[in-house]
Amino acid sequence: MAISNAEGDPATGNEGGGERKRKRRADPPVAKWRTEGEQKTYSSKLIEAIRRVRRSSAAAATDHSRSRAVRAAADRALAVAGRGRTRWSRAILSGRKLKLWVRARACRRKPLGSITAASASHTTPKSKPPTLERKARVLGRLVPGCRKLPLLTLLEEASDYIAALEMQVRAMSAIAEILSAAGAATAEPM
Amino acid sequence: MSSRRSRSRQMSSSRITDEQINDLLTKLQAVLPEAHLRSTDRVSAAKVLQDTCNYIRSLHREVDDLSERLSELLANNDINSAQAAIIRSLLR
Repeated sequence: MAISNAEGDPATGNEGGGERKRKRRADPPVAKWRTEGEQKTYSSKLIEAIRRVRRSSAAAATDHSRSRAVRAAADRALAVAGRGRTRWSRAILSGRKLKLWVRARACRRKPLGSITAASASHTTPKSKPPTLERKARVLGRLVPGCRKLPLLTLLEEASDYIAALEMQVRAMSAIAEILSAAGAATAEPM
Repeated sequence: MSSRRSRSRQMSSSRITDEQINDLLTKLQAVLPEAHLRSTDRVSAAKVLQDTCNYIRSLHREVDDLSERLSELLANNDINSAQAAIIRSLLR
């Protein structure tokens, strides 16, 4: 009956940190998105995914649906490259369509005027003004799968997500350059 | 009595996490594009959050534009296996 399992680790030294005992490596994962090896792995995966999109949507004539399919494939490949350690990558892989529909419906229900009404009715003095919370909510909506997270986790997810997005932009622009150059080269001799 | 203890625990935990939040905000601000323009004295949380939201939105837009461009390029010429091999060798 004695509580002797939770406090058997005096090396960490903080009182309330029950969750953060083992996860002490928050710094390096952000830097891995900058490495060239990661970008090359992602690029080859992306090319395979795009080829699959091209083959499967041969009947879809609209450009918009095709570009959306490409974007979805790119995001999924990005989430796979994250190796499931972050929340946003798991959220992308678990289901994108549901999130898009829910977001469209929520945008139609809440007009923008309701935000100012909510901030005016909050008269209780808090340490964080409601503006900060509102911005945190907006950020939580932008990063997939991070709507109701506490601010700390949200900031970690956001920094990793930004690094991943930057890598995605770099990889996709490189592929686009190569493809357009290859297309121009094959169209020359006629 | 139990409410007092829980309140004191809540305040002490929020003091610890405020430092961590500030630390993360600084790190986040360093990643944002205008990091070199900003003085590194104080981190205004609202500004950092706003800048982060704007940056993520602009990155999303870039990805959308790029995927549109890629889909157009694909519409004209499909990537056959030879071109895929060329791309892979170029990227390596």
